[in-house]
Amino acid sequence: MKELKYLFSFPFRKKINLGYLFSLTLSVLLALLVGALIMHLSGHDPAAGYKAMLSGALSTARSRGDTLAKSAVLCLTGLAVAVGAQAGIFNVGGEGQLYLGALASAAVGGYLSGWPAWIAFPLALLAAIAAGGLYALLPGWLKVRLKVNEVITTIMLNSAAIYLCKYLVNGPLKTGERGISAGTVKIGAAFAFPKLIRLSNLTASIFLSAFIALAVWYLMKRTATGYEMKLSGQNPRFAGYIGINSGRLMLLGMTLSGAICGLVGMFEVFGIHKRFVEAVSNEFYYDGMLVAMIMRYDPVGIILMSLFFGALKIGATGMEQIGIPSEIVLIVQSIVIFFMAAENGITQSLKERLVQRRARKAARREEGAA
Amino acid sequence: MPKEAPIVRFEHISMQFPGVLANDDVSLSVGKGEVFALVGENGAGKSTLMNILYGLNRPTSGRLFIKGREVTRHSPAQAIAMGVGMVHQHFKLVPSFTVSQNILLACEPRKGGFLYDFGEARKRVEALSQTYGLEIDPDARVDELTIGLQQRVEILKTLGRGADVLILDEPTAVLTPQESEELFGVIRRMVQERGMTVIIITHKLYEVMAVSHRVAVMRGGKLVGLHETRDVNQRILAELMVGRNLEEERPERAGAPGEALIRVEGLKVRSDRGLPAVNGLSLTVRAGEILGVAAVEGNGQSELVEAICGMQPIEAGEIWVEGVRVNGMSPGKIRALGLAHVPEDRNATGVSGAASVSDNLLAGRQRERRFAAGGIHMKKKAIRAYVTGLFRRFDIRGAGVSVQAGSLSGGNMQKVVVAREFSADGRCLVVAQPTRGVDIGAQEFIHRCILDKRNAGCAILLVSADLDEVLSLSDRVITLFEGRITGEFTGASIDKQDVGYAMTGGRSGEVGA
Repeated sequence: MKELKYLFSFPFRKKINLGYLFSLTLSVLLALLVGALIMHLSGHDPAAGYKAMLSGALSTARSRGDTLAKSAVLCLTGLAVAVGAQAGIFNVGGEGQLYLGALASAAVGGYLSGWPAWIAFPLALLAAIAAGGLYALLPGWLKVRLKVNEVITTIMLNSAAIYLCKYLVNGPLKTGERGISAGTVKIGAAFAFPKLIRLSNLTASIFLSAFIALAVWYLMKRTATGYEMKLSGQNPRFAGYIGINSGRLMLLGMTLSGAICGLVGMFEVFGIHKRFVEAVSNEFYYDGMLVAMIMRYDPVGIILMSLFFGALKIGATGMEQIGIPSEIVLIVQSIVIFFMAAENGITQSLKERLVQRRARKAARREEGAA
Repeated sequence: MPKEAPIVRFEHISMQFPGVLANDDVSLSVGKGEVFALVGENGAGKSTLMNILYGLNRPTSGRLFIKGREVTRHSPAQAIAMGVGMVHQHFKLVPSFTVSQNILLACEPRKGGFLYDFGEARKRVEALSQTYGLEIDPDARVDELTIGLQQRVEILKTLGRGADVLILDEPTAVLTPQESEELFGVIRRMVQERGMTVIIITHKLYEVMAVSHRVAVMRGGKLVGLHETRDVNQRILAELMVGRNLEEERPERAGAPGEALIRVEGLKVRSDRGLPAVNGLSLTVRAGEILGVAAVEGNGQSELVEAICGMQPIEAGEIWVEGVRVNGMSPGKIRALGLAHVPEDRNATGVSGAASVSDNLLAGRQRERRFAAGGIHMKKKAIRAYVTGLFRRFDIRGAGVSVQAGSLSGGNMQKVVVAREFSADGRCLVVAQPTRGVDIGAQEFIHRCILDKRNAGCAILLVSADLDEVLSLSDRVITLFEGRITGEFTGASIDKQDVGYAMTGGRSGEVGA
């Protein structure tokens, strides 16, 4: 498959990416070094700590499964950010879209539990897509029609969605089962994604996730629509001049972003919890945003980086098991992320300064010529 | 007018920019208490000369005296300290600040060392505005003021810093006629009552006649005329500005023009500021014809072009492209009718700097079946072959098609625009400032492209601030002044001075002195 060739040859195919890969690796090493220092200062053995992290993420089948499952969530949420960003619209509301997608699919799966799976499951899938997508369409429409800043509206809509879901599962949609404090009724057993590895969170939803990731990559990188999204995200004035409808592409990017988030919510429900619970997401979307921003919204980069981040997140539990307090683990984790993000910002600003200096020089030359 | 020791004196000033001699041995002096007008076409070297005075440019050779003292290597801050202030075309104000905050920016009065003293600020600004007779509300927010008043704030800011020599760079370019009149009143008062010196850069000759005591005309970097305003008239100035008629060889026509492909009737368009920019304009461009529009910048030609291409709303009138009424259509729809457009501002509109050269060359064709299977799947090979073909054919010099378009030089960026637009399949072309900031070689190449398109039967509307370009390429020339057609010229030899006279408002007798 040609696409796979591109996937695996990234990022060595292009010279530009090689430089970025190098500085990224450097910043990861630097971060691990600072992390080691902190472990050392708090009286733990850094070598043992990192070893525990590695084995925590990869040593057993269960941990490998968990890492992969975590990576899938990061990957999808990251791609959701990227698909909007490519069209020039920044979706910060993925968390709320995820909650609504989870709740909508859980409701379908719960109330249609007696129905055959081949009807109920696609319906649940559609419900998740519709809930997430429509909820993202609203701020998208406000942005395109009324120029309302989408960052503000999506942040506000996050709270609205999350508290609405919490209210519903504590009230009207609360299950009657005993021992469940807040949750919807259980989905039909036949609808759930089968577990692939015992005790791990890895379920058959990973195949759907992979398919979605590939589809998003294809849309962004290989289609005329993706090309138009890129042009209009980079320079809406140019896009308008060339005859591309930027507004429509923003709506498309935003809706797709929301739909993907809705699906992530559904995968959590149908894979792990089997019902909607309040803790369906633990700020998954913000982790995805981080991955997307570090990889500059490049879909292949996001797919690869989410594997690393997934390992980092799951590996942290391994560190806790050898007695390193979870706070220290969180600090080390944050530092790694911090360095990677800072690397992005620093090289970016250096580059920008260089470009600006060049542009100023060129402008001066042109002024002289005019 | 008063002629004591000159307050500003240029002696044999030359300014060499790479490839261009922007000022060529310019000597002139400006006396205290006079309004001195500096006129010339775009690129004549007026702004360069004033930037030298204001310390923004350092001359290659020659000497500059301010108030009798020779200055070398001075900065704008030092220029201000010597009493020379400049009001740029684009104001440098903080929109969300009040008038007094802007005027006293960086020299705010303080209470107890660090608190902003509002009372004192208001008092100072009121004193300043009374001294110069420039009424303004010190507490108004700048972004709520009209452009005319914003300019007044800018002038007060300069005066507040102690300037007694005021350089105004095309001050009326953004003003309504009423605002312009007010400004002239202010200038006269400042000169008569305060003994200030005002140097005004302008294109509009009636303004020279209305407000100045003396006038210098520049062309191609040289000073070509220095006169007492009362000794000259607009006609003489226009001749000096555009130069003698050169007997240029005009390229052979391919045949008589055919059907009307672009038709504009009674068009009215407002500028982004909401001022009338195009005021009831009608024109027709036929197949196999280049219609040149000669106009000094800011006379409605930009809005005309944008309206035809669907990028600016039409207030009144109608536009047809290929026989289809295009009022209210999107740029994409108009393009689909077969209209290509080289926009005047390549940096903001013509190319996307962040996108690759390849993406820029392909733009607009991404849905064509030969580049996208089913209009969806992009064929990388076909695209690459197509864009490298254009890259070679239009002789774009750069590291290749995958570099960012923003990294190209201005001339090569323009070639990207030309390559994309001139390879379009339609029969209508709207070309604005095709060779602005482009070197001679690329200029000739682009001119050749335009003529080839004409000979191939396209209807071309050519707008350029470069009068020679318009005259040498066009089959027919119209002049625009303040959004109206002030002249139409055809025939083998168009008299350049007639055109220059018409484009500087020669027929608008109702405004000015």
